[in-house]
Amino acid sequence: MIRLLDVHKVYGQGSNEVTALAGVSLEIARGDFVSIIGPSGSGKSTLLHLIGGLDRPTRGDVLIDGRIISRLPDRDLTRFRRAKIGFVFQFFNLLPLLTARENVMLPLVLDGRGRAEAAARANALLERVGLGGRAEHTPDQLSGGEMQRVAIARALAFSPSILLADEPTGNLDSKSGEAVLDLIRRVNREERCTVVMVTHNERAARYAGRIVYLSDGTIVGAPSSR
Amino acid sequence: MISLLGFVSLRHLARHRLRTALTLCGIVLGVAAITAIGMVNRTVLQSFQRTIDLVAGKAVLQVTNGESGVKESVFPVVRDAPGVAAAAASVEGFLPMTEFPGERLFLLGVDFLTDAFLRDHQFAGGALERERGLDFIAPADSIALTESLARRLGLALGARVALTTAEGVKRYTVRALLKEEGTARAFGGNIALMDLPVAQLALGKWGKLDTVDLTVEQGQDIEALRRRLADRLGGAAQVERPSKRGEQVESLIASFRVGLFFVSLVALFVGVFLIYNTVSVSVVQRRREIGILRCLGTARGQIMKLFLFEALALGLAGALGGLLAGVLLAKAALGAVTQTIGNLFFHIDASGTSLSWREVGLGLGGGIGVAVIAALQPAWEAARIGPAESARQEPWRKDARRFSRLALAALSLLAVAPLVWFFSPGHFTPVQKFSAGMTSMFLFLLGVCLLSPLITLLASGAILRALRAGFCVSARLACDGLARNPVRSGMTVSTLMISLAAIFTVAVLVHSVRVSLLSWVDQMVSADLVVHSSAPTAGSLNVPLKEEIGAAFKEIPGVKLVDFYRLIRSTYQGKPILIESFSARAARAVRSLPMVAGDGQETLRRMAAGEGVVVSESFESKFGKGRGDTLELPTPSGAVSFRILGVYVDYSSDAGSVLLDRALYSKLWGDRLVDAFDLWLEPGADRDAVIREIKEKYGERYQLFVNTHAELKQAVVGIMEQSFRVNYAVEVIAVIVAIFSVINTLIASVLDRTREIGVLRAIGATEGQLKAIFVLEAAGMGLLGGLLGLIAGTIMSYQHVVYNTKVLTGWTFQYSYPPGVAAACVLLTVALCLIVAYAPARRAAQLNIVKAIAYE
Repeated sequence: MIRLLDVHKVYGQGSNEVTALAGVSLEIARGDFVSIIGPSGSGKSTLLHLIGGLDRPTRGDVLIDGRIISRLPDRDLTRFRRAKIGFVFQFFNLLPLLTARENVMLPLVLDGRGRAEAAARANALLERVGLGGRAEHTPDQLSGGEMQRVAIARALAFSPSILLADEPTGNLDSKSGEAVLDLIRRVNREERCTVVMVTHNERAARYAGRIVYLSDGTIVGAPSSR
Repeated sequence: MISLLGFVSLRHLARHRLRTALTLCGIVLGVAAITAIGMVNRTVLQSFQRTIDLVAGKAVLQVTNGESGVKESVFPVVRDAPGVAAAAASVEGFLPMTEFPGERLFLLGVDFLTDAFLRDHQFAGGALERERGLDFIAPADSIALTESLARRLGLALGARVALTTAEGVKRYTVRALLKEEGTARAFGGNIALMDLPVAQLALGKWGKLDTVDLTVEQGQDIEALRRRLADRLGGAAQVERPSKRGEQVESLIASFRVGLFFVSLVALFVGVFLIYNTVSVSVVQRRREIGILRCLGTARGQIMKLFLFEALALGLAGALGGLLAGVLLAKAALGAVTQTIGNLFFHIDASGTSLSWREVGLGLGGGIGVAVIAALQPAWEAARIGPAESARQEPWRKDARRFSRLALAALSLLAVAPLVWFFSPGHFTPVQKFSAGMTSMFLFLLGVCLLSPLITLLASGAILRALRAGFCVSARLACDGLARNPVRSGMTVSTLMISLAAIFTVAVLVHSVRVSLLSWVDQMVSADLVVHSSAPTAGSLNVPLKEEIGAAFKEIPGVKLVDFYRLIRSTYQGKPILIESFSARAARAVRSLPMVAGDGQETLRRMAAGEGVVVSESFESKFGKGRGDTLELPTPSGAVSFRILGVYVDYSSDAGSVLLDRALYSKLWGDRLVDAFDLWLEPGADRDAVIREIKEKYGERYQLFVNTHAELKQAVVGIMEQSFRVNYAVEVIAVIVAIFSVINTLIASVLDRTREIGVLRAIGATEGQLKAIFVLEAAGMGLLGGLLGLIAGTIMSYQHVVYNTKVLTGWTFQYSYPPGVAAACVLLTVALCLIVAYAPARRAAQLNIVKAIAYE
C-alpha cells in the first residue's frame, strides 16, 4: 500500500521558490494500476520520484507498506528502492556498454548476487518480455520498443512490489508504445505488482485501472476507474 | 567579442569554478617554475659579478692566476709598468669562524697604505689615517670586520675572533670596523680586512698574491696595456678586465644553469596538456550552447575567438599569479641553489633576488603562449560545430579520421626526434648539443603524447573485453569512461606520462651518477682515512693546511702511508679548470687511477717520473686535448708545457681537470698546501684508535674532519644528491599539474555521465559502488600514464645519461637502471590518482538522483 499524507514539494528558496506539489494526499492499494496525468509542470514526475524514494518531500510523509520512506537515511533508502521498487524511464536509460542481459543483471549484481544466479534470472525476465533471442545485443542494436522492454525486465529484477514508470511510451512510436503498455498491464495483473505510471497521453493512461489528474501540484477532479 | 566573453565565457568559468581554479593553478605553477629558475639563474650570476665588482673596486685590469696565485715578485713588475697609474696587491679566501658554526668570512688581505687608491674602505670613526693605519698593521693579529657582522655576532672593537686558518685555529683582535660601503658590501657583510702579510699566513699563501688590481693612466689604451702586461708576465698570470672573471664563472656553471632551465620547461610543457584538456572538455560540454550561438548568427571565427580569448584570459591570470608565486619560489630555491653552487663550484652571496623585465616577459609570454597554443585545436573544433548541434544531445564521438591524423603526427614526431640529435651539427657548442638533445627528448615526448589517446582507447577496449567474462560492473564502467572520451583521457594520461618520464629520467640520472661516483671514489680514493679541515670533502669549503701536519700523522702508530691531495682552480685557454695533484710515487702501490683508456698503474709510474700529466674526460671533450697531446698551463713560474699521458675519469668538476704529481706541482706552483690528507693504515691497525688520536691531537686546532672511506663516499653522494634537489622540486610541480589534469578529467567524466549515475542510483547502486567507478577510472589513467611514463622515461633516461649529460659535462656515466624506483614510480602515480579521485567520486555518488536522471 502506498500512502501520501499532505505531501508538499518546493524547489528553490525565497523569491525563486517553485511549488511542485502543494499538499497531495493519495492512497494506492496493493496491485493497483494508477496513471497520473496532467499538463507539463503539474508535478507528475515529482510525485513519482517521491514514491520511488528518489527525492524527499518538503513537508508531509510518504509511506510504503506502513513504513515512512521519506525519513529513511540514504543507505536504507537505497536498499528499500532496490528491494521494493522498479523504475522505467522515458529514455530507457540502459547502459550502452552492457548487453541486454547484462543490463537486466545489473541491479542483481549491484546487490551482490552471484553471476550465475543473476544471469538465470535475467534470462527468465528477458523471455518474459519476449526478448529471449536478443539477450546478447547491446542497446544500440535494439529498437526503441525493445530497449523499453529490456528496461522493464530490469525493473522486475527483484520482483518489486511497485513498478514506477515515467512516460514509458514518450519516446516510442504508437505500435511499440502499445506493446510496452500491454506488457506493463500484464506485469500488473500476473504479478500483483502495483503500477504507478506518469503520462501525458490520455490513451496510454486508460490502460490503468485508475487515473489521477494533477494540476499545479494538486490532485483535481474525481479519481476515475475503469 | 568582449561582450560575448562577458555574457557566455565568464559565466561558464564561474559555473565550473573548481575546473577553472585547477587550470589556473596549473598555469600558475608552470609559470612559477620557469620564472623562479630564471630568477635564480640570473641572481647567481649577478651576485658573483657584483662581488667581483665590489672587491675589484676601481680596478680596470686585474692580474690573477686562479688559485695558483702569482709570485710577489710580479707586483713591482706590474706597478712599475708604463701606463699603470696605481696598483694594489691582495690575497683572498674564505675562512670559517671557529666559534660561530656556519659563519664564513671572506678574508681580503691588502696593503693598507696602497689599497685606498683602488678600493673604497670606509672605517667607522673616520679614515685610517697614517697613525691609525700603523696602529692597525703593527700587531700581527689585527682584523677589521664590518659593522653589521660585528653587531650580529656581538663583537666590539678589541674583541678576539678565532678563525680556522692554514696554520690551525688562530685568534685575531678586532681593531677596526668597516662601514658597509664599497668592498664591505660583498658577501652580505661577511667580509674581513687584514694586513697583507697577516692574511698571507692565515691563507697559507706566503710569498704569493691572488690579485694585483690596477688603474691606468688617463688616455691609456686599456687593451694595449693589457696585452703588454700579459707579454711581460710570460704566462705566469692572466691580465683581464674584472668583467671577464664573471664570464668565466658563467661558463663554469653553464651546464648547471642549462639543466635547470630545461627542467623548468617540463612544468610548462605539462601545463599545455592541462589547458588543452580544460578547453576541449569545455567545447564538448558546450556543443549545444555553441550550436545555439551559431543559430543566433555567431560566425565560426567568433566562436574560435571566443575560446581563444577564454584561454588567453586564463593564461594571463595564471601568468600573473605565476610571476608572484615564482618570486616566492625563487626566494625559497635560492638557498638550495647557492648551497649547491657553494659545494660544487664556489661561494656566492645571493641573499636577495628580484624579478627582472626579462622574467616578467618570459612568465607572461610562457603562460599566455602556452594557453593560446593549447587552446588552438579545441577552439578550431568548436568553430566547426554547426547550428544543428543545438538540438543534439550526444557527447563527443569517436572519430576514426581524428585518430589516424593523431597517429600520423605522433609517428612523424617519433621518427624526427632521434634525427634532431643524430644530425646536430658537429660545430655546436656543448650547450647547443645538449639543447638539441633536450629538444629531441621533447619531440619524442610529444609523439608519445599524441599516441596516448589511441593507446588509451586500445587499452581500455582490451580491458573491457577481458572483463566481460567476469561482469565487474564498476571496472567496466570505469574503462568505458576512459574509452568514451579517449582524447580527453589520453591527454590526461599524457600529462601523467610526461611528469613521470621527467622524474624518472632525473631519478635514473641520479642513480647512474651515484653508481658511477661510488665506483670512482673506490678507485680514486682508496685511502682508509681522509682528513680535511673545516669541511667533510675537498672543494670550495675546506681550508687547505700545511704539509707539516701530514708528517705528524705519519708518526701515529698504525699509519702506513700519508699522501697529500691538492685541488686548486686555475684556467686553461681563459676558461676555468681544476688542477689536482697527489704523490704518484708514494701512492702508486696503494692507488689506482680510473682511466678512460690505458693502464692506470703505468700512467701513475710515468706521472711519478715527471713525464707529464693526465687530463679528465671533461677536459678532453671541452678542449679537444687527449693522450699524446701537449698542453700549456699558467703557473706562478710562468707558462709551462706538459705532455698528456692519458685521460682519466674524474667527477670533481665538469670544467675539466688536470692531474699531476705533487712533486712537480709543488716545484712549479710553489705551493705546499694540502686539501686532503689520505691515510693508509697498516693491516690490522686499530682504525678507531688512529681517528681518536688525530682528533685529540689536532682535531680542535685544525678543525679536522676525519672520514673513513665509507663516510667519504656518503659525503660525496650527499653533495651529488643535494645538487639534484631543485630538479626534483620542479619535477614535483609537473606532477602536481598532471594531478590537476586527472581531477579535471574526472570532474568532466562525472558531468558526462550524470544521467547514467542517476539511473544507477535509481536501480540500487550504493554510493560506494558509484565511487568505485570513478576511483577505478582514475586508477586506470594512473596505470596507463605510469606505464607509458616508465617506457618513455626509460628511453629518455638512456639518452639523457649516455648522450645529453656526456655532451654537456664530458662525463661518462655508466647507465644504471633502478628497477625499484621504476616500480615505485608507477605505484606512486596510481596511488596519487586514487587519492585525488576521491573528491570527484564522492561528488558523483552524492548527485541528486532526480536531477541526474533529468540531466541533458
